[in-house]
Parts: sequence; C-alpha cells; structure tokens
Amino acid sequence: MPVVELIFYVASTPAGAPPFWRVPTRAGSFGALTFLGMLVSSWVAMTALMRERDESTKRAERARGELERQALDARLRLLQAQVEPHFLFNTLANVQALVDVGSPRASPVLASLVSYLRAAVPRLSEPVNRLSQELEMARAYLALMQMRLPDRLEFSVQADAGLERLRCPPTTLLTLVENAVRHGIDPSLDGGRIDVSVQLRGERCLAQVRDTGVGIAPGSGGLGTGLSTLRERLQLAFAGDADLRLSEVLPHGVLAEVEFPAQT
Amino acid sequence: MTTPAAPTALIADDEPLLREVLVGLLALQWPELRVVAQARNGLEAIEQFEALKPDVCFLDIHMPGSTGIEVAQRIGGRAHVVFITAFDHYALEAFEQGALDYLVKPLQAARLTGTLARLRERLRTQQPVVNSEALLAQLAASLQPREPAAAPLRWIRASVGATVRLIPVDDIDYLKSDEKYTLVAWRGDGGKQGEAFIRTPLKALVEQLDPARFQQIHRSVVVNLNAISHVTRGDNETADVYFKHRSEVLPVSRTFLHLFKAE
Repeated sequence: MPVVELIFYVASTPAGAPPFWRVPTRAGSFGALTFLGMLVSSWVAMTALMRERDESTKRAERARGELERQALDARLRLLQAQVEPHFLFNTLANVQALVDVGSPRASPVLASLVSYLRAAVPRLSEPVNRLSQELEMARAYLALMQMRLPDRLEFSVQADAGLERLRCPPTTLLTLVENAVRHGIDPSLDGGRIDVSVQLRGERCLAQVRDTGVGIAPGSGGLGTGLSTLRERLQLAFAGDADLRLSEVLPHGVLAEVEFPAQT
Repeated sequence: MTTPAAPTALIADDEPLLREVLVGLLALQWPELRVVAQARNGLEAIEQFEALKPDVCFLDIHMPGSTGIEVAQRIGGRAHVVFITAFDHYALEAFEQGALDYLVKPLQAARLTGTLARLRERLRTQQPVVNSEALLAQLAASLQPREPAAAPLRWIRASVGATVRLIPVDDIDYLKSDEKYTLVAWRGDGGKQGEAFIRTPLKALVEQLDPARFQQIHRSVVVNLNAISHVTRGDNETADVYFKHRSEVLPVSRTFLHLFKAE
C-alpha cells in the first residue's frame, strides 16, 4: 500500500517542481496517508480473517444440518422398511387365500404375522432401539419364513443373557436374516439352516447370522443394497466404531457378522 | 394330446403354502381337473411331467434348480403352461406384452377364473398350446436384464488367513497383481489396513469393476479413486499416488499419466 502511494505521489508531482518530500505540506500528508494506510490495511486483513472464520462456522453448520437431514431421512426410510408394506400385503393375501380354500394353516400363519408386526412396529415410547426388539423381530421373521419354506428352512436364535438392553440400530439383525433367506436359502434346492447368535465380547457386542445356503456365487452382484445401507446406518449410529463382515461358510453358506460397542 | 374325461395338472412351486392354495382354488373353480403332481423345484417338475404327462402345468417362474421358463422349454408343446410369478414390475410388464398365461402371487380367486376359462376352452376345442418356443424365448430374454450378472462387482471373495472374507469393493484401496495372485489392499475391521489375496487375475477383475470408481494406474496396479488423497507430479513425466488411509505411495506409469493432468 505505501508503495502504490509513493508511486502516486511521484507521478502526481508536476514536471520541474521539487520532489514531494522537499515540500513540507506534501511530505506531511504523505506520512499521514501512509500511517492511515497501514491502519486500514490491517483492519481489512482482520475483517477478511473474521469473514473466513465466519464462513467456516457456517460451513460446519451447513454440514451439521445436512447430517441431521440425512439422519431424519434414514429414520423415515427405516420406518417404512421396518413394517415393509409389500411383505405385509403378500403375507395377508396368502392368509386370505388360505382362508378361502379352508386351509387349517391360515390361523398359524396369521399368528406368526401378528407376532412379527408386534416386534416390527417401532416403539415410540422407547428413545432407542434395543437388542431385545431386534431378536424378537428376527425370530418372528424366521418363523414366518419357516411357514413359507417348511421343508427347507431350520433356524435358531440365541443371545447371551443380559444383552437385551443394549442399544442396537433398528433392523440390524433383520437385514442380515433377510439376506440369508433371500440369497442363501431361497435359491437352494435343499434349503439349509440359519443360526442367529449374539454374544458379548469384552466391551463389544458381536452378532452373527450364519446360513448354510448356496453361498455367494463368484461375480454375483446379488448381495446388495440391503447390506450397504446397513453399513452406513451402523457407521452413523456408532460414529464409525462398528463393523460389518461377511465370510464364507464351508462347504457352502455365508457368515455375516456385525460388531459394535456394547452400550445401553 | 387327447383330452380324456378328466384333465390332469401339475403344480410346481417351491412354496408349499402356495401349492396348497392353488390346489384348493382349483378344486373350487375346476372340480374336474385332477392335480396329479406337485413339484418343489424345476428338476422335480421335469421328472414328474415326463412320468405323468399332465395336460396343464402351473409353473412358478422362480424356483431353485431350474426356472419355470426352463421347465416350460423342456415341456415344449406337450402341455398348456400357466406361469406363476411374484408381484414384480418387470415380470408383469414382460407378461403383459406376450400372449402367455400367467398368475400373479399372491393368488386371487377372481384372477384365476379368467385364466381357467381360457384353458378349459383350449382343452375342449383341442387348440394348440400358446406357450410356443418363440414366446418362451422372448419371455426369457425380457426377464434376463434383471439378473445382475452384468452389474459391477460389489464384493470380492478373498482369503484372509484361514477364512474367506467377502470384501466390499468400496473398502478396497488398491489391487496389485503379484505373480500368481492379486493382492487386495483394503480397509478391514475398524478401518485397519488389511491385505488379502485372490486367485482371479487383475485383468479379469478389472473387467468386472465399476470403471467410474476403479482406475488402472500401472500395468499391475488398479486403484480405487475414492481412496486417493492426492497425486503429486514429479519431473520427467512421473507421478505418485498417495492414499487417505495408507502410507504406501504408488507410481503412475507413463501410459496412465494423462489421467492425472490438471485441467
């Protein structure tokens, strides 16, 4: 800034006149302007810095808003997924058809559907989803699936005592169990078993869903969106401190594991 | 196909409840029809068809072993085929375009009535079957694109110690061919660096990966673009790739250098 000022002063000096620093009034005003310039420039720099800081706070706020929106979105989608209208509709229509033809199986299927719904409908009174709910839902879903595939599906669900109160993102177990049915048992001629177990490992909770279905064909894109979104949900719920692992079961099948901090 | 006094039918579906419902509805709506066989999968369906030669076959499209379409192709013109399909946008579209008979799960009595009336008429007047080879091929083709075989790979099967892990491709940092194997460098449990080996050659793997996400940077190296933190360019037409979660630095070979030129 003082440099520009200097050039300006030199350039504005009329030809033949003495240089400005020889003229007392001009030298004085030059000094004053320089001092003022220093003040102004530092003030400008300060406001720029402040603005920059403001900007980054706003960015952070925007990011937080975005996160909150995403969380809300996820919650809404979840509400829908949890009761899954399509699944509900299909099962009810099956029950109706069973009633129409006078099948004695109508009533047990309906009973299974009722217990599934009881477990699946979100409890608004509970602030967080508990593992007990997840276990109930997995059990009820598997019971319904067993009615659908009685000769091809066996299952067990067990959990260490005292884990019921642990926090667990909604439909965690259900997603794994659904996957096992859809990609493991459904395509298999002989069917298989699905075993669900939840254990405490130190400070962490380990949930395993093991099936003896067809396993994953090489190159199949089958194991898809359900698991990817579950990963995202787990990351969100436990701030990145959760894992979803898949491995192969011999001679065929898949072991899906979810591990997360044991918190109440 | 001579039509005896009582026409016969085969039902093939992997869900016993559905078979039970269909048997019940048929008994109500077409009491003369005798259901002579119930198959749990495509293979059983073919076996029982060959043994009993029923006049009508109700075939679920999605059965383990062999699909309903494959069974229908084996049966050829020897029986009238009615497909059973789950409520599915694509499948319904495929059927609506063709002349094939179909029922939609869950079965509804009203919908069945029309189909059965057409079948009875065809049997009575000894019309040829509508499930022609051409129509079946068309149906198979229209349902084909739904099979995700052509979709990019999402999981890779790799040995990690004694277990075979399924690694999501998103978690892979890079792939490197290593004589007989391909090294998979990924972010494993809790984001820790993991290394696994697979037998699939890098070249075959690259063809199955999403090209928008995975990029070859060297004859023997493919990187996940999302895993890169930055690329530095050196003198003499060289460049190095740095990763967000790994300390390794991988060189970009001259062939792929143009990818990392600034706009």
